[in-house]
Amino acid sequence: MTVAKNVARLPRSSLLKLRFAKLTTPVSLLVVVFSALLLLLPVIFRLNGKPHADWQQFLGRFHPLVIHLPIGFLVLVPLLEIAGRKRPALRETARFVLLLAFVSCLGAVTLGYLLAYGSGAQGTTVVRHMWGGITLTIGVLLCMLARRTRPGANASGVYPVILTITLLLLAWTAHQGGSLTHGSNYLTEYLPAPLQRFTMRSQAKADPGSFYAQHINPIFDASCVSCHGKSKVQGGLRLDSYSSLMNGGKDGRVIAAGKPNESILLQRITLPTDNKRFMPAEGHPPLTAEQIRWIRTWIEQGASSTATSLQGIVFAEAPKDPPIVPVGDYSSLMAEIHQMQSGEGAKLLSVSSKPSDGLILRTVDVASSFGDAQLAQFQKFAPYIVEVELGRTNVTDACFDMLSKFTNLRAIHLEGTEVTGAGISKLAVLPRLVYINLSGTKMAEEAAAHLASMKNLRHVYLFSTPAQPAPAAAPSGVAQNSAAGAKL
Amino acid sequence: MKQHPLCTDCETGADVMNMPVPANLKQEWAALQTRRSFLGRTGKVLGWAALSSLMGDRGLNRYAHAAGSTSRIATPEELKLPHFAPKAKRAIYLFMSGGPPQIDMLDYKPNLSALYNQDLPESIRGGQRLTGMTSAQAHFPIAPSHWTFKRYGQSDVHVSELLPYTAQIVDDLTIIKSTNTDAINHEPAIMLMNTGNMNAGKPCLGSWLAYGLGSMNDNLPTFIVLQTRLNPKENNQPVSSRLWSSGFLSSQYAGVGLRSVGDPVLYLSNPDGMDREVRRKMLDAVEELNRQTLAELGDPETNARIAQYEMAYRMQASVPELVDLSKEPQSTWDLYGEEAKEPGTFAYNCLLARRMAERGVRFTQIYKRGWDVHGDVMGILPVLCRETDRGCYALVTDLKRRGLLDDTLVIWAGEFGRTVYSQGGLSKENYGRDHHPRCFTTWMAGGGVHAGIIYGETDDFSYNVVKDSVPVRDFNATILHCLGIDHNRFTYKFQGLDQKLTGTTPASVVQGLLA
Repeated sequence: MTVAKNVARLPRSSLLKLRFAKLTTPVSLLVVVFSALLLLLPVIFRLNGKPHADWQQFLGRFHPLVIHLPIGFLVLVPLLEIAGRKRPALRETARFVLLLAFVSCLGAVTLGYLLAYGSGAQGTTVVRHMWGGITLTIGVLLCMLARRTRPGANASGVYPVILTITLLLLAWTAHQGGSLTHGSNYLTEYLPAPLQRFTMRSQAKADPGSFYAQHINPIFDASCVSCHGKSKVQGGLRLDSYSSLMNGGKDGRVIAAGKPNESILLQRITLPTDNKRFMPAEGHPPLTAEQIRWIRTWIEQGASSTATSLQGIVFAEAPKDPPIVPVGDYSSLMAEIHQMQSGEGAKLLSVSSKPSDGLILRTVDVASSFGDAQLAQFQKFAPYIVEVELGRTNVTDACFDMLSKFTNLRAIHLEGTEVTGAGISKLAVLPRLVYINLSGTKMAEEAAAHLASMKNLRHVYLFSTPAQPAPAAAPSGVAQNSAAGAKL
Repeated sequence: MKQHPLCTDCETGADVMNMPVPANLKQEWAALQTRRSFLGRTGKVLGWAALSSLMGDRGLNRYAHAAGSTSRIATPEELKLPHFAPKAKRAIYLFMSGGPPQIDMLDYKPNLSALYNQDLPESIRGGQRLTGMTSAQAHFPIAPSHWTFKRYGQSDVHVSELLPYTAQIVDDLTIIKSTNTDAINHEPAIMLMNTGNMNAGKPCLGSWLAYGLGSMNDNLPTFIVLQTRLNPKENNQPVSSRLWSSGFLSSQYAGVGLRSVGDPVLYLSNPDGMDREVRRKMLDAVEELNRQTLAELGDPETNARIAQYEMAYRMQASVPELVDLSKEPQSTWDLYGEEAKEPGTFAYNCLLARRMAERGVRFTQIYKRGWDVHGDVMGILPVLCRETDRGCYALVTDLKRRGLLDDTLVIWAGEFGRTVYSQGGLSKENYGRDHHPRCFTTWMAGGGVHAGIIYGETDDFSYNVVKDSVPVRDFNATILHCLGIDHNRFTYKFQGLDQKLTGTTPASVVQGLLA
């Protein structure tokens, strides 16, 4: 506070003159000259992004403290004016408070400018905040002038209008300042979802299956959020969600959808690594060429939060198996299932502790005596069985008829059996079947063709059958490589 | 002094106090008696306390049973496992005992060649306490890998020329470069990998699985251990049954070792003059005796013994069938190589592991010793790689073509890695590598894990993990997860603690490894 007063000493003396002088042309002239000087400040001392003297920053850092004075005073002015209608003494106070507001405004502007100039701050929000502060100070000055011209003190006229505008300007400027210190989405981040639609900022959530969520966000997570995340918001920029990424930081938006070359984020990560503005900063490892290519392509194609794939980027990822579908309630059969488990013979075992995950039919201990007739005995459990292990049993092609009644089947093991595939097309009615193992059977080629038409069937094994696809050539290069290895 | 009802000492005889003796003698006698009776009775009280604590537990348990309390140990049926639908039903663990040098095999560090023979920066080592084998070294000269690396597969992974076969399956592997352990010496490190604890006495992974998931096959053990024949030229660290011990779990969950030479299981075949029927009669009689003992003493280990006799009887038929490779088609030998016909080789063990997977063995662990390359890396490492490389490739490929890789988890790991700096002298012709716990490379393949990725990163010296650290406990938690087990819920009350494979330090499943 003392600092503020010291800094504000000079302009204050001219103010005192203003206060006691009758309203004359020289006073208006003084106001105009003073305003012009304030407006010229950014031209004389340009904010060029370079830090200057340390003492400037030291003093400047009192700006966030001092700034609360003009805000408090200014908010008080209209209250006093309104209350003053009943108690004129309060109106007198309003005049004094307005003066205090102006003095503290000057102090805050001076300190704020020292902070920006000293630290080399830059960016659209900084500039907006700066102009807001300067205009606000001039606004307060005009308020004082307007108030003097109408000492008759009725509420109508220029003064209330200027005061209202000044107060609105105050709110806007203060918000810009808040965005600088806390990040641009500080205010709206925890806004209830229904209200978020009304905020100006984009609060779009990325689709979890989108390219952004799958590939772009993980890059930021790994390399950026330690400085641009929840705990640390360097440059007012957060990269931990789609909305904060799109909102940008104090330099404004960092992603220009469709325009990779205008996107500050891409510019900064592609600078030469020794550039001061290169990101990731502070010796964190640079992004890989592939990551940069993904980000560039993603921006180029609209920086979408929903697009699941991008042209030109292909991932060799195996499609995931569909989720497990509950098989329904078989608790009435549990007694029988338990009895089977403790006896000898084929068993039904639960996939997991969750009964709805279904049952596995396991025959390995009695494989040599398990045939189609034994399989038929499991018909009443059919809808609850998700996997049948019939490897090396005596089942024949007749089993396909029975198996087609196992409506929840996901996997069929028939390896080492005598099946030839006649009637295998009956399995096409099983909607969840993803796996069938026919290795070592007599599976015929034409029968195997039926499997190709089953849409969900992803894992088909025909090793060592007549239907086996032409053997993949022995891994190329192994022979000569191993020879090279032997020499070592 | 009142006689304790349980005290058998005769203290009611002649009382010195009533005798006509001098008062100072009476006093001295009283002092003596006090001390003697104090010591005597203390001993007895301690005995009673011990007895009551021995009895008490059983007595308390009986009350607990009566009240339907759940505080006693759960039987496998009551464990309600798997906790969730598993991706893998069984696992095969290829254990590279001794600590394979990750820098020469899978953790490619191209920048090291420029730093040949320079001292490892102190900032990288960070004051780490080294083993006694290199802590006295004045210099820690950087030894770049002697072998060249090339990219393989769709996943574009760098693999050393020492592993031409493994290089062919990189798209099926999940390579973890950031595995790290707390132990720097073999014994604690290998115990930590296998049992989750550096001290002996805890059950190993296989025993936990046998206990929790049970057998898939009545005729073969749930958990089988195969040892690879020693190569005497290699630096073989001892491997013993404590690594496949069931610890505090019932001994029926311990790993069953199959021998690589001669009979796979000693004394399994019937001696001359005894046929299977006589054997059966004998076993029935033994079981009868064992049941009497069980009824008399109630020792659960008697049950384990009965189960083991029965298993051995069934194994008389199943093991010869298991190890009979005569029906294997030519395609098997094309894949595994002719070496696989020779019992005890790594390739042979890999082939057996595939046969066990087919026959429903829950967990197979193959030990390959000799990776402890403190010196002569250039001489020994190619031998080690040649012994194991093709077997790994063949096993994964064979499981895959037979449709078994979808529900089998294959794990390849040692107990730690090896240092980037040379132990002993570094020359263009040779170097050595010391134990290195801070990072080592492992891989998994098959059911539940994300094929074709590299997980985790190490620094430029393959010395520290810089991204996605996977400590041993997380490694084990992830294995359990693939088999449908939540490591935090799979516990066994012992010594007042809910014991679990991942120990008391919080562990987590490595989501990035999962499919």
